[in-house]
Amino acid sequence: MDIFITGLGAISTIGNNVDEIYASLLAEKTGIRKGTLDHSMKYHVGEVPLSNEGLMEHFKLKTKGSRTALLGMVAAKEAFQGHQLMDEVRTGLISGTSVGGMDITEEEYRNYLKTETFDAEKYKHHPSGTTTEQMAEELGITGFVNTISTACSSAANAIMMGARLIRSNQLDRVVVGGTDSLTHFTISGFRSLMIFDPEWCRPFDETRKGLNLGEGAGYIVLESEKSLQLTGKTPLAKLTGWSNASDAYHQTASSPEGNGAVLAMTKALSVAHLQPTDIDYINAHGTATPNNDSSESKAFINVFEGKVPPFSSTKAYTGHTLAACGGIEAVIAVLSIQNNVLFPNLNHTTPIEETGLIPVKQITRIENVRNVLSNSFGFGGNNSSLIFSKL
Amino acid sequence: MSELKENLKAQIIEQLNLEDLTPSDIKNEAPLFGDEGLGLDSIDALEFIVLLDVNYGIKISDPSDAREIFHSIDSLASFIESQK
Amino acid sequence: MYYIHAIQSMNNSDVFKQEDIHQKLVEVSENPTLVTPDFKTYIAPTALRRLSPILRMGITLAKEVQAAVDQPFDAISVGTGLGCLTDTEKFLNVIYTVEGDVLSPTAFIQSTHNTIAGQISLDLGNHSYNMTHTQNNLSFEMALIDGMLCCEEGSKNVLVGAADESIEFLNKLKPSVFDSETLFTTSATFLAISADKMESSIAILACKTIANAAEISVETNAFLAAFGLSLEQINCFVLNTNELETPANSEVFHIDDQLGFNQSSSAFAVHVAHDFLKSSTKEFALIVNRSSNNYLGLILLKNDKTHN
Repeated sequence: MDIFITGLGAISTIGNNVDEIYASLLAEKTGIRKGTLDHSMKYHVGEVPLSNEGLMEHFKLKTKGSRTALLGMVAAKEAFQGHQLMDEVRTGLISGTSVGGMDITEEEYRNYLKTETFDAEKYKHHPSGTTTEQMAEELGITGFVNTISTACSSAANAIMMGARLIRSNQLDRVVVGGTDSLTHFTISGFRSLMIFDPEWCRPFDETRKGLNLGEGAGYIVLESEKSLQLTGKTPLAKLTGWSNASDAYHQTASSPEGNGAVLAMTKALSVAHLQPTDIDYINAHGTATPNNDSSESKAFINVFEGKVPPFSSTKAYTGHTLAACGGIEAVIAVLSIQNNVLFPNLNHTTPIEETGLIPVKQITRIENVRNVLSNSFGFGGNNSSLIFSKL
Repeated sequence: MSELKENLKAQIIEQLNLEDLTPSDIKNEAPLFGDEGLGLDSIDALEFIVLLDVNYGIKISDPSDAREIFHSIDSLASFIESQK
Repeated sequence: MYYIHAIQSMNNSDVFKQEDIHQKLVEVSENPTLVTPDFKTYIAPTALRRLSPILRMGITLAKEVQAAVDQPFDAISVGTGLGCLTDTEKFLNVIYTVEGDVLSPTAFIQSTHNTIAGQISLDLGNHSYNMTHTQNNLSFEMALIDGMLCCEEGSKNVLVGAADESIEFLNKLKPSVFDSETLFTTSATFLAISADKMESSIAILACKTIANAAEISVETNAFLAAFGLSLEQINCFVLNTNELETPANSEVFHIDDQLGFNQSSSAFAVHVAHDFLKSSTKEFALIVNRSSNNYLGLILLKNDKTHN
């Protein structure tokens, strides 16, 4: 059964919507710079330049929520624009997030540590599930509303879950993706892991030092063929392959050979009924940590038997947006297919010595981008691969 | 030096929640990491960096530099001495 | 129909490795404490030293369920409403109280919701599908829907479960945040499901979640009607609401009486219903899980020991 993509929406430091993001990608323009908030100013981060009030006003949001929920609403609404709710089309929302309403919780908890007083109401925004419920309210979606939280693979897993529910005829149409705001909690967390690059991150570069964090959201709309007939929407691309596998190696680190990544990519190819040679571009997880990029590179060599297709990480544009990255990068994969363009891996100069792999380094137009593989790997060895295909 | 080593053992037990161990269970020369020794891992290495910062004021900015330093109680103690 | 091949729980009642738990429930006390086995018999000391209660429960229950079914799980699907709260709170304390350039990373690493499922895969050396759902008190239902979907797609032996832990701070927030006067408790339930019957006789027929649900009786009747059933044919109800009028001759368990407030309570409700059906010749049990904001979860269990 074909799973069609009929809507795209994204917000990140390189743009408030898909068009702006596409323009930044083509201009090879990063959005990563010195942070502007108390907890981000020491670091290079990919902040969305609008405040919460700014987001609500600029995008005319009706529902209140955490920053994570607001970013999610913006991107999900863009993806769902032009779609109508109708009884005959069973419509769901599946969203990935790792921090949920932590942006509000952390402020409140800091206040509690100082004063031992608290405003219980503020904690209502905390649960990740509530983030999605607030988005559902904004979109008017009732019925199936679910949240996936598998750290940095959350959005990819939400997309996969939506596709599987459509294939199993439990849903006809589903808005899927992920959202995460930049929080003091996550900035401190990655600082404690000592995997920040103090400068601009350099994915797949021998000299890479670590990642830059970002924030944002990315959603796509998936529909069955039956749904297309009822909604009358024009499909943009198809989602043909997906898989999740567990590395089962370490709490945070990937196995040196990327075993979980190999399993995820191999199984996604098999779900899509594709051969490795059918993949024209890989949008890598490529966080620019020493461990991820080495492990992912070796997994590429393994899966593609040495003939690794053009690949790049777009995280040097957006920063690592954690639970949102699989959603934003799903949008980027569809842009690649629609425009037959491969996006560069910014800041790359020296290939990783051990693998010698060289990513796409400038905007590259090719005759036909048929299939794009998109990887998202999370803490706990949670490895997911999606395959997007031309109609 | 031997007092430093005993202090280190107690601090390691506390920082890494090794509640079933006593300082006498940790041999000065035995490897701390891997299955041969205490079975510590890369998360513990980061905790060691915190321990050195908090207790000895020693800064290590790149965990991969620290592999040899963290090999054993002996190597940790010599490193701390060398920083004085 | 997905058969339950092993099921284990841990909470404030003495239920771990017990049979007929529906007869062993105690009312939640003023000061509920988690009844646990000696975790050292399940988890290596090098791993155990870091683990919060929710992780200890998850790993131990998964291992016990894995031991009861011979084949390694070919999918793992876990639900949690609030995730790893102990480590989340611990790390919030670290970031706001520790001065200095370096921070202890352990609590952060273990604060993400998928630490439970991730640690299970790590401990079992399991490379299969590994998913974590978090939809407030419907998190278990979401994990179960995913697990059943895995079975539909060909998985033979799927681990499904849910876990939530209480921290003292949570009790300060009620009733305003969770619309509940009862105490927060810690609870987890894990089960193995499969489309193959083998020796099992208790199966999950269906699981449904509804956002923005209409009246509970309307939704429940519609759910049952799809299986040609009505409320009168349900022998056992495990629920967290008084809004459903249950038939006079049915067995009714109000799960909050035993568990207090726990967002994984519907997983434990499945365990109660499972043991009730297993020890009887009754045929159907229904779990009704409502939340304050009109979200509703329904799970239907069938005993085909004496029926076909």
